[in-house]
Amino acid sequence: MLFIIRKRLFQLFIVLLVLSIFTFTLMKLAPGDPVLTILNADEMLVTEEDQAKLRSDLGFDQPLYVQYGKWMLNLAQLDLGKSYMTGKPVWDELMERLQITIELTTFALFIMISIAIPLGVLAAINAGRWPDQVSRILALIGASIPNFWLGLILIYLFTFKLQILPSSGIGSYSHIILPAFTLGFTFAVVYARLLRAGLLQSMSEDFILAGRARGLKEWRILWIHAFRAAILPVITVFGLSIGSFLGGAVVVEILFSWPGLGSLAVEAIFNRDYPVIQGYVLLTGIFVVIVNLLVDLSYYVIDPRINRKEEAL
Amino acid sequence: MEATIEKQIKNAGDLVHTAEESLLEIEDLTITIDSVKKDLVKQIDLSIKAGEMLGLVGESGSGKSLTATALLGLLPSSLQITGGTIRLGNHQITSLSEKEMRQVRGKEIAYVSQNYQSFFTPFIKIGKQFVEVIQSHSPTKKSEAKKIVRYWLNKVNLPADRVFNSYPFQLSGGQLQRAAIACAILLRPRLIIADEPTTALDVLTGEKILDLLRGLQKELNCAILLITHDLKHVMNRSDEIAIMYGGQILERGRTCDVYQNPAHPYTRLLFQSRLQLSKEVTKELRTIYGEPGLIAEKGCPFARRCPYVFEACNEIPQIKTVSDAHWVACHAAN
Repeated sequence: MLFIIRKRLFQLFIVLLVLSIFTFTLMKLAPGDPVLTILNADEMLVTEEDQAKLRSDLGFDQPLYVQYGKWMLNLAQLDLGKSYMTGKPVWDELMERLQITIELTTFALFIMISIAIPLGVLAAINAGRWPDQVSRILALIGASIPNFWLGLILIYLFTFKLQILPSSGIGSYSHIILPAFTLGFTFAVVYARLLRAGLLQSMSEDFILAGRARGLKEWRILWIHAFRAAILPVITVFGLSIGSFLGGAVVVEILFSWPGLGSLAVEAIFNRDYPVIQGYVLLTGIFVVIVNLLVDLSYYVIDPRINRKEEAL
Repeated sequence: MEATIEKQIKNAGDLVHTAEESLLEIEDLTITIDSVKKDLVKQIDLSIKAGEMLGLVGESGSGKSLTATALLGLLPSSLQITGGTIRLGNHQITSLSEKEMRQVRGKEIAYVSQNYQSFFTPFIKIGKQFVEVIQSHSPTKKSEAKKIVRYWLNKVNLPADRVFNSYPFQLSGGQLQRAAIACAILLRPRLIIADEPTTALDVLTGEKILDLLRGLQKELNCAILLITHDLKHVMNRSDEIAIMYGGQILERGRTCDVYQNPAHPYTRLLFQSRLQLSKEVTKELRTIYGEPGLIAEKGCPFARRCPYVFEACNEIPQIKTVSDAHWVACHAAN
């Protein structure tokens, strides 16, 4: 257990290093100039002199590796720099938005789990019958429609037609339902299929037959003996797709004007606000690696064989 | 405290199992694949008395395990019992509801499988699974259940404390099979179905397991259905023997009668093809003609491999009485 944590923390370091180099270079290669944005060149007259001054203030006139080195040096002191647009420290900005995003993603996860598990279990115990067909169709829908489109449909239905849920903003629980559902649904129906496959597999194991032969109740067989083996592949896939989950969160945040990290990142990209973009990418990177670490650790909890075997080596 | 528990467990056993008549009666049992209407087990009759062991012998695919699964009421949904009855004590198993059947399983009929590696759920500690069995059948306090589990683990010569707190993968094959037996007898069942319990074990461990089963049977006075493809396992242990081929019982009777006077050609050939210790080394081991699984579609299932086959074998043979409590299904037998 400690071994894997150590290994993952080392990996985290490597991942972040590579990630920072890539984003740093890519942003410099991308078209657009932050100097013009900062000086609001679209609306005001900007002289060459002003531009040059700001450029040297921001250190843009130096070679790329020097800029990167300086940024890294600051990062080592946990200083992500200041936002070009607001002038506030990037760290504060990120933390403020992170809280709001966590609210959304937690709720989306909750919705995801409460759809995926009952749907998957129902489809498995009724394999071939109508609940299975329904889950199959839902999975097809969930896998094919992009979540911004699902979000638009939901807004049309619940905000425009039925007028029961707000389409944007934050504040109350009614605000969180639509975005969280939009984000959670597409993942949930696909995971339900995975869970169904895992359950069908584990229900055909010999130990299930032996359990039934011992006279165990069917719900115990399902939830205690079969479920645990079936949930592992679902958790694995979730770990792998956590990146696209966070990506989906960005789209959903924009769609529902949810002022979280995603909206912050998109604003920052439009404004070429380099420090904020880099901060966002790093934070997402850390998050992805940590979730994958948790996924790995969950294996040890769910299947004790993994742990003991490693100890025996 | 331990002593009183032991006493209680022992006394509980004295109350049941007194009937003289057969404990398990299978009559005319037929199992069919639903989709193609093919009979996998055809009109078999079997019976076991309390305290006795029936050896059900047959090669792979002869329908012995299927019969066992039918006894437990756990046939896969593609298979169905299309005829006959199974009676255990005063339960008609074939007409019990799923809920009633669940209460019979584990409590009245216990099952030991050949695949000891996955007899227990791999990620739950063994002790917990034992306690689960007890609590599934009667509301029992955990501490009480633990004592019962300890008692039976000691009975099968396992270090009770260590096994109780182990995961299945931490035990050896022999230990696991012992634990499986302990789990099977936990609630003093009236019938134990042992489906090739020694197949996956080495010879010596296998013998020990069978001796253990036999010993426990004496104490419990339960019936055992020992399914095997190895004649030597049943010859010196079981009271009765039934030879199965192609879903039918070809011969059945007291083990000594069948051994001394095998009436069916298949039984005779089986005895001849055993490895034996004798002064003279035979040049060649007798084998049975044809491949296992070569089953005649109609008439006697063994007809296509039988050296004595004649025209009448196209008809299903009547069951003939060879001697008292010894039956054979063969046209050639007299």
